[in-house]
Amino acid sequence: MNKNSWLHNIGVIARREMSRLAHQPVYFFCMIFAPIFSMVFFLTLMSDGLPTNLPIAVVDQDNSANSRKIIRQLDAFEQSKVVLTTTSFEEARKEVQKGNLYGIFLIPRDFGTDAASGRQPKLSFYTNSTYLVASSLLFRDMKTMSVLAGASVGLQTGKARGLTDDQIMAQLQPIQIDTHIIGNPWLNYSVYLNNTILPGIIQLLIFLVTVYSIGTELKYGTSREWLGLGNQSITVSLLGKLLPQTIIFMLISVLCAVSLYGFSDFPLNSGWGPMLSALFLLVIASQAVGVFMIGIIPTLRMGLSTASLFGMVSFSIVGFSFPVLAMSPAMQGLSYLFPLRHYFLIYVDQALNGRALHYSIDQYLWLAAFLILPFIVGKHLKNAMLHFKYIP
Amino acid sequence: MKKEHRLHYIIKEGILDSFYIWKEEIRNVFKDKGVIIFFFLVPFLYPILYSFMYNNEIVHDAKMVVVDQSDTYLSRDFIRRMNASSDVKIVGVCPDMEAAKKMVDNKEAYAILYFPTDFSKDLNTGKRTTVSLYTDMSSLLFYKAFLMTATTVSLEIGNEVRLHNHPNTTDKQDEILIEPVPYEAITMFNTQTGFGSFLVPAILILIIQQTLILGICMLGGTTREKNRFHTLVPVSRHFSGTLRIVFGKSLAYILIYVIVCLWEFAAVPKIFGFPMVGHPVTVILFLLPYLFACIFFSMTMSGFMKTREAPMMIFVFTSVMLVFISGVSWPKEAIPPFWRAVGYIFPSTAGIQGFIRINTSGALLHDVIHEYHTLWIQAGFYFVTACIIYRYQILRSRKLIIEQYEYMKNKQNKRLNPEIHPE
Repeated sequence: MNKNSWLHNIGVIARREMSRLAHQPVYFFCMIFAPIFSMVFFLTLMSDGLPTNLPIAVVDQDNSANSRKIIRQLDAFEQSKVVLTTTSFEEARKEVQKGNLYGIFLIPRDFGTDAASGRQPKLSFYTNSTYLVASSLLFRDMKTMSVLAGASVGLQTGKARGLTDDQIMAQLQPIQIDTHIIGNPWLNYSVYLNNTILPGIIQLLIFLVTVYSIGTELKYGTSREWLGLGNQSITVSLLGKLLPQTIIFMLISVLCAVSLYGFSDFPLNSGWGPMLSALFLLVIASQAVGVFMIGIIPTLRMGLSTASLFGMVSFSIVGFSFPVLAMSPAMQGLSYLFPLRHYFLIYVDQALNGRALHYSIDQYLWLAAFLILPFIVGKHLKNAMLHFKYIP
Repeated sequence: MKKEHRLHYIIKEGILDSFYIWKEEIRNVFKDKGVIIFFFLVPFLYPILYSFMYNNEIVHDAKMVVVDQSDTYLSRDFIRRMNASSDVKIVGVCPDMEAAKKMVDNKEAYAILYFPTDFSKDLNTGKRTTVSLYTDMSSLLFYKAFLMTATTVSLEIGNEVRLHNHPNTTDKQDEILIEPVPYEAITMFNTQTGFGSFLVPAILILIIQQTLILGICMLGGTTREKNRFHTLVPVSRHFSGTLRIVFGKSLAYILIYVIVCLWEFAAVPKIFGFPMVGHPVTVILFLLPYLFACIFFSMTMSGFMKTREAPMMIFVFTSVMLVFISGVSWPKEAIPPFWRAVGYIFPSTAGIQGFIRINTSGALLHDVIHEYHTLWIQAGFYFVTACIIYRYQILRSRKLIIEQYEYMKNKQNKRLNPEIHPE
């Protein structure tokens, strides 16, 4: 068989596949609607970048000009909003359990006079770690507030003793930690989450669509006809079938990249090239994993179940929220089996930190290595296509 | 009056048919490997998998590299204490930033701590000094570990230096100047701020809903594929009433999910040490409407599934969104009103909100009354829609039978009396 007839057969199968894609609404749903809907959903959900105005309570047992000033200042912080001022800690705690508050700031009795006369009153703040994100943001605000409250008292007493501002600050805080955040200096959560979640959803949908498109050929007994068009070559048949899907998913991932780095202006320190090639590799690596799933268990429902479960685990094992390095060694090893994990590492190196390309070369190679998978199951899949009888 | 129209006869028949349908449905579940995967295997394995992933709960030994231009006793002491903390591990000391950056680029470290040349000199002469922390943002938890540890150590050493600079201070004024207003931070509930304790309870609740949707829709899709007229209800005398179908089937699902819930909410937290401060009665009372809402929601959705695979194609990708729309990670106050409204479609939104407050913050039923009511309303609403779906399917299947019957009759007539139909 020469090369031309190969190409011809691929073309014939690709045309057949395009008509299949067009005639079943489920493909439109999974390939176009679901990814675009997810992009709109996540980017609008987190359009603020950081949650603002999280409700907190101040338990003000002092009720003086001083304590009221603290409340006003606390309210002025971007992340906190004082929605309840009370003298009863119990009342505030109840509101936390009702889910109306994420934190409590406690100003003790006689705070103002005690501070002025040097009796060192203590400020306390409580955060509800049931909600980890909200509580760590509020922790930051309430801690700053406590330090500021101390500093302002310190400045007053220090000035009364004739010290300069510099001397006082050196007393209050001899060592200052100056934080430089590389890549995402605003600690923007949208940048942080969406750069992994959106490609993760694309990966999941590719698994599903790949398994579905091959699995339905088996289920509805059209696989022989399909293999026949490829002149009994599993390679040609798969290439022809997957090519239209590859193109559509690549277009979708370009759209994803544009919505992240174009519309949303997320950090892209590497330029477009490295990220687009990472996305393209993610697409074909995911397709390869999809072929592997249906190849190893050639029934539609089992293949789809595997695709669903594997796709969902990716979101956790990729380690963008809880780092992989903090997981057990077994889990760290397992994480290599997920294309999204390698994509995430490329993203961190390239888009986020703008490192030289050679630091990511391993990950690009890993993504490319997933392309071996279809060859492992090719024979098994072909066998199933020829002889398998679908049992519902 | 005919026997079939007497009320007590209808009720008796209804109950018997419900039980018949219940038995049929249980049999269907156990016959179907795909459904078994979603009803048993996923709820069994996922919690274990997530527990293994998150069982360290917090980050230990986040790797950090140091550039020490000062190279004095104080800076080395600082480094020693950083290394001694459980959260941070110092992997190396570099002569300059270039070398340190290279280590970060190679992922040998995730942060750089930089001591300026005058670090000790400033401190010893009572001037303020600055230590710079450069962190990679590949993980927020790493960042948090670095910042917290550096802050703690800087305060410790700062205090000691001050005491050293003013050795025999008896002057209360000095102490006041050092710390005029002390403060303390207290973590309520999930006290070790563990990541697993934060996320796993929400995931457990979501698993209940998603597996019910997938399993029930798969059962629906299978029935439609197998039935003669591709309707959701088989042609059988027992399947003649809407209520008996809905009752019978939901009874089957609820019995299975009582077992699933026992595993998810009693065994898993015990085995893996996740928070479980909720009162058992409160938990049960809250889970009940959640199960009803999920089951009737799934039965409603199953009316739209024409094949057994469709539910996986449609619902799996929604899981990540449902976690976010529930407000467990992205706070509910920060969710735009439109998406908050969309969240009310799914039982998981109120389910997750209410459950984590009961389970992790120890809320009582009246503290989660809004979520509790929402779930009952959803259960009621989706019960009605499930009934409508099945009613429609019964009518459709009857219509198709009649059409088929007419068609057969016509065909037979045609054959018997060809002269009436000359064409």
